[in-house]
Amino acid sequence: MAAHPYLSSRLLAWKNAYRYGRRRTLFAAALIVVGVGVVAVLPPTGPILGWLGQNWAVTLVIAATLFGLSTVRRRQRASIEAATSWLAALPRGIPVSMQVVAGTVARLTALVVFAALVRGIGAISRSDFARFALAATAGAALGLLGIWRRRRTGVGAPGFHYAIVRRARARWASAPSLSPLANWPAARGRILSQPKKTAPLLLFVMMAMPMGSPGQVAIAVAGVSVALFSVLNLTLAAVRVVFEAARWLAPTAVGKWRFIAALFWRVVLIQALTLAVLILLGSVVNPSRTLAVAMPLAALYLCASLVVVTAVAYGACRRVGLGASGRGV
Amino acid sequence: MEPAGAWVSGPPVVESDVESQALLVRSLHAGYDKLVVLSGVDLAVARGEWLALLGPNASGKTTLLHCIAGTLVPSAGSISICGHSLRGQAMEAKRALGFGSAPESLPDLLTGRQCLEIYAAAKGLTAIGGDVLALAEEFAFTVMLDRFLGSYSLGTRQKLAVLLALLGEPALVVLDEAFNGLDPASALVLKRHLRARVSARRCGVLLATHALDVVERYSDRAALLLNGRIAREWSGEELAVLRAAPGEGLEMALAAACAGS
Repeated sequence: MAAHPYLSSRLLAWKNAYRYGRRRTLFAAALIVVGVGVVAVLPPTGPILGWLGQNWAVTLVIAATLFGLSTVRRRQRASIEAATSWLAALPRGIPVSMQVVAGTVARLTALVVFAALVRGIGAISRSDFARFALAATAGAALGLLGIWRRRRTGVGAPGFHYAIVRRARARWASAPSLSPLANWPAARGRILSQPKKTAPLLLFVMMAMPMGSPGQVAIAVAGVSVALFSVLNLTLAAVRVVFEAARWLAPTAVGKWRFIAALFWRVVLIQALTLAVLILLGSVVNPSRTLAVAMPLAALYLCASLVVVTAVAYGACRRVGLGASGRGV
Repeated sequence: MEPAGAWVSGPPVVESDVESQALLVRSLHAGYDKLVVLSGVDLAVARGEWLALLGPNASGKTTLLHCIAGTLVPSAGSISICGHSLRGQAMEAKRALGFGSAPESLPDLLTGRQCLEIYAAAKGLTAIGGDVLALAEEFAFTVMLDRFLGSYSLGTRQKLAVLLALLGEPALVVLDEAFNGLDPASALVLKRHLRARVSARRCGVLLATHALDVVERYSDRAALLLNGRIAREWSGEELAVLRAAPGEGLEMALAAACAGS
């Protein structure tokens, strides 16, 4: 192993993660296993995989596209890492192409194992599984051609430009306020919702539509999906940002509820407005169904999102001592 | 006076009136899980005093500063800022504290102006102080105010971290390696600004640093943190002697103290 510093450093990092955070690692692993199991037994999973197996040409095209995009991105990352890694000065490194191929093989294996799991519970036939696996493998092999894509020069901050949507105010506010804090999760949400991240999910949504659906329905479904992804991403962004924000403001005397309100008001407002617009558009098409189904679902999501982010924020405040009294000894 | 590099059993903690006591740390123990980093730190900083905290890498300087900022819970001991216990009167203690966050922990997705406004509001200020704006001007930071922090260099982030720490006339300013990444002109501006604040008894400064020139020329006292406790202290007079000694200086005294451990 000593002759392969890249491999051994990664292996050691994994071992240390397990050694110093055993419970967290086991919990995350259990969560992933349960998540994969749940997705495998979900009713639509079998029919979707079965359809993909029967229409192997479509599967081949989709797999080649996704694996190709993934190859291009991983090649770019591996090239950056080869130049900037702390091990970059060592004479021996793993060739970029080998890293990319290994990544593709790992992803393909995971996909085939998942399909085998679905086959194991009897949701798809053996022939569909075989055709799906072969088409995915062929697609992955085609996607590997992305290794030879010409490199772009210059590396920017990934996703950063998505945050700048409007010009920041270039003067002081009449009085200092915590309200700009709300820009932070909103900006993070925009980065999470950037097209290259939502596009693969959108592809799956489109694939789940029945064949022969009218074009306008497909466009409507795509639009609604993008809006719903952005709503979901705002919740994720709020959860991701809250620990950093709490740690940053912990040495000040700001109260925890004031902090939570300042951090999340914009997220909640954007989510509420987005859902309201979707309900309004839906009610034009089918008012009774929209009011009966979409309205309660939207209200339920908003409440659940608010509860989750508030609970996480409260935990973060306690952990870093923001606004706390009675911490210490 | 003891010779440079000599050991003392521990720094004497001088009890003084609450008005002049910016920071008092007593028998502080802290660490991360099972790793003990601080084991019985005693430290005092008076208003109108600049204390430089020295120590080798991983000696616990940043851990001590995080305990003072209230972001890390000590396992034993007490911390009071301006007479307010960080345990029982956390909000009062934090109102008197100006803590310089690590530059890399500042939010990439906000502008410098937004950071200043948020921090001022979090400290309960009605306006951003004129001297902080003047310091920003001296730092040549005002042109950066409306850019996102993601585009800042290390030095520019450091300037913002210092400006945030100095907001609201804190009685205790705590800075961790505040001169890292600063260009010489900005570093000089900051040293003079802090010295002026300290000389006017507007605050006490606790600066964790490896910059020995700052310690020799600007600090009133220096303390060496080693093996989880304050192993050695240098008074103002001792620092003056070290500064005048040809070929010796604090660097040699510090090396001798560390080697003695």
